[in-house]
Amino acid sequence: MNKLRREVMWAALALIILLTVFSIYGAFIGAARAEQFFNRIPLAVFWIAFTILLIVAINVFPRLVRVPGLLLMHAGCISILLGGMWGSRAGHALQNKFLGNEKIRTGRMTIYEGYSDNQVIVENEAQNYLFSIKPEFESDLDHRTVSEELRQEFEKHQMTLSQDVKVMAKPEGNAWVIADNLSAYIARKEGEALNIYAPTKELPFSVRLKDFRIEYYEPANLEIEIAEGQSKTIPAEVGQEIDLGGELGKAKIVRKYENFKMSIEDGKRVAFDDPRPGSNPALEIEITAPDGQVITQYVFSLMPGFGHTQSKLKLTYHRPLNRAIRDYVSELEVVRDGQVVAEKDIEVNHPLSFGGYHFYQVDYDHEAGRFTILSVHSSSGLRLVFIGYWMLCIGILWHMWFRHILARIKSKK
Amino acid sequence: MEIKYTIQGYLVYITIATYVLAFVVTLLRRPKAGHAIYLLGFAVAVISYGYRWMHVGHVPLQNLFEVFLCLGMIYPVSLFCKRVLRVGGYAADMLIGAIVLFPAGFVFHAQPQRLPPALQSWLFTPHVAVYMLSYIVMAKATFQAVCQLVGKNPKPGENLLPPEQATYTIVCVGFPLLTLGLILGSYWGKLAWGDYWGWDPKELWSLASWLIFVGYFHFRYMFGKKHPRMNSLWAIAGMVAIIITLLWVNLSKIFSGLHSYAT
Repeated sequence: MNKLRREVMWAALALIILLTVFSIYGAFIGAARAEQFFNRIPLAVFWIAFTILLIVAINVFPRLVRVPGLLLMHAGCISILLGGMWGSRAGHALQNKFLGNEKIRTGRMTIYEGYSDNQVIVENEAQNYLFSIKPEFESDLDHRTVSEELRQEFEKHQMTLSQDVKVMAKPEGNAWVIADNLSAYIARKEGEALNIYAPTKELPFSVRLKDFRIEYYEPANLEIEIAEGQSKTIPAEVGQEIDLGGELGKAKIVRKYENFKMSIEDGKRVAFDDPRPGSNPALEIEITAPDGQVITQYVFSLMPGFGHTQSKLKLTYHRPLNRAIRDYVSELEVVRDGQVVAEKDIEVNHPLSFGGYHFYQVDYDHEAGRFTILSVHSSSGLRLVFIGYWMLCIGILWHMWFRHILARIKSKK
Repeated sequence: MEIKYTIQGYLVYITIATYVLAFVVTLLRRPKAGHAIYLLGFAVAVISYGYRWMHVGHVPLQNLFEVFLCLGMIYPVSLFCKRVLRVGGYAADMLIGAIVLFPAGFVFHAQPQRLPPALQSWLFTPHVAVYMLSYIVMAKATFQAVCQLVGKNPKPGENLLPPEQATYTIVCVGFPLLTLGLILGSYWGKLAWGDYWGWDPKELWSLASWLIFVGYFHFRYMFGKKHPRMNSLWAIAGMVAIIITLLWVNLSKIFSGLHSYAT
C-alpha cells in the first residue's frame, strides 16, 4: 500500500470509529437531542468530510472501481450521505437561499372533517416573515396584552385580530406567540427590531379530509329487532342507513356519542358529547316511518334496553369494551385550483405522497374524531437515499454471498 | 415470564432441554453422543415448527414467537458452516439454539396477538427475521473470535479453518443480513413514521453495531492477519453492541424511544 492509500485508510478508520462513538453518544441523549446533535455545524463538517473521503477513496483505490461489489457499496454510501444532506434542515435552507426552492421540510397540519387546508405549522424552522412593528410594543407583549395601537398595526397589513386574542411568551425568551381563534403570529425580537412572523407556511395545494375513522378488531354494530326473533344488523357508523321493511320504515344513524349527556336548554332536552372524562357510548338514530313521520331515538351500549320511549323497535348497540385498535384511517383528497387531483385513504404504514410531500397521520381528535393531525414531510433527497440503499444492499450481497456461490457452481462444473 | 402448558410449549421445552443436554455431553468429551442428541433436538424443533404450521394454517413467521421458533432449528446453520465454510463450533451452536428458543418458551405469547397499527406491515417479519438470523450468525463469529483469543485451534484431522479465518468467513455471511435488517427497518420507518431515520436510541445502537463490523473489515483489510487479536476484539465489540441493541434498549428505561414496545 503506498503512502497516500495508507493515509486514506487511516482516515477512513478514524471517521468510522468517530461515527460509532457519535452514534452511541446519540443513543444516550434521546432521539430529540440526538437529531439536534447530528445536525450541528461540526457534524455537518463531519458528514461532508465523510462524503469527500469516500469519493477520494474511489479515486485512489483502483480495487474500489475494479471490484463491482465494492464500488456499489461505497458509491451507495455516497448516495445515502448526499441524499441525507440534501433533505436535511440545512439542505432545505440552502436550496431556499440559492435555488429559490421554497419547500417546507417538515410540519404539521390540522384538518377538520369536510374542510380543506393548506396551512402547515412549521415550528422549528425559519418562519414566514410578515412585517415589523415598533420596538416599543415589547412592553405591551410583556404584559400579555394587545393594545389598540398594536391592533391597528395588524389592520394596516390586512390582518384582523379578534377580541379573543391571547399573548403568550415562548420558552426561549425574546419571542411571543399572539394566538387568535384560527391563526397565530410570532413576535420575535431580533436586534433592535420587533418582527412578526406567521408560524405557518402554505402548501401549493390543499388537502381535504373527507372522513376520519378508527377501525377496531371487534367492530361495533347496531341491531334492530324487526319482528319476534328476527333482527337486522348494520355497522355502527354515522350515515349508515337500513330499510326495515313494511310499515317500520327506514332507520339511519345520524350521530355517535362517546360520552352521552343531556342538558335542558329553554325547556328542551339537548343531547351532547361531554368532553370530560367518562364513557357513555350512544347512537342517535332517525327512524322515518312510511308516512314521513320522523322519530329520533337514542341507544346506549352500556345501558341496553334504556331509552325506548318513542318507538316500538327494540335496538341494541353492540360495542365491546376496551377494543383493540386495528387502524386509523383518514380519507384525503388533494385539491388544486378547485380540482381534485389525487385521492387516498391513508392508514398507518400507508401515507399519501403528492407534489414532493408525504402525509402521515400523527394524532386525532380524541373526543369526537372530528379532525386529524397530519405530519408533512418533504421528499427532497429521498430518492438519492433509496438508490443508495439499493446499491449498498446489492453490492454487499454480491460481494459477500453471490459471487462466492457463483464461483462454487462454476468450479463444480 | 410465562410457562406454556400446551403441546406447543412442551415441544419447545423438550427442544431446549435436548440442546442443553447435547451441550453438556459434548463438554464431557463425548462429541459423537453430543452430536446425536443435537440431531434429536433438531428433530423435535422441526416437529415443533411443523405443529405450529399445521395449527395456524400459514407459514409461521407472523409474530415474534414464530420467528424464534423458526430460529430454534439452528442445526442447518451448523451444518452449512461446517461443510461449506469449514467452520466448526457445534457445542456453541447447541447453546445458541437453547438461548434462541428461550424467548419462544417464556417471553412471547403463542396466541397470535392483535398487532397495533404501526406493526401491521409486510416489513415486520422480514425486518425481524433477517436481524435475528444475522444475530445468530454473528454469535457464531464471536465464538470463533473468542477461540482465537484463548488459542483454541481445531484439531489437525478436522479440516477446519483456523479461528481468525473462521471469524472473518462467518462475519462475511452475517454482515449482509445485518445490512438488510438496518435498511428494511429504515424503509419501514419512512412508511410508518415519516422519516427513514429518526435518531432513536435503538436505531443508533444498530447503526453502531453495523459500523463496528464496517470498521472490522477496514481494519482487517489494512493489517490482514498481522494483529489477529485486534481482529478478534473488533468482532467481539460488534457482538457486544448487538446485544445492547437487542436487549438493553428494550429493557432499560434510560433509552426511551420509538422501539420501546417489547418487554
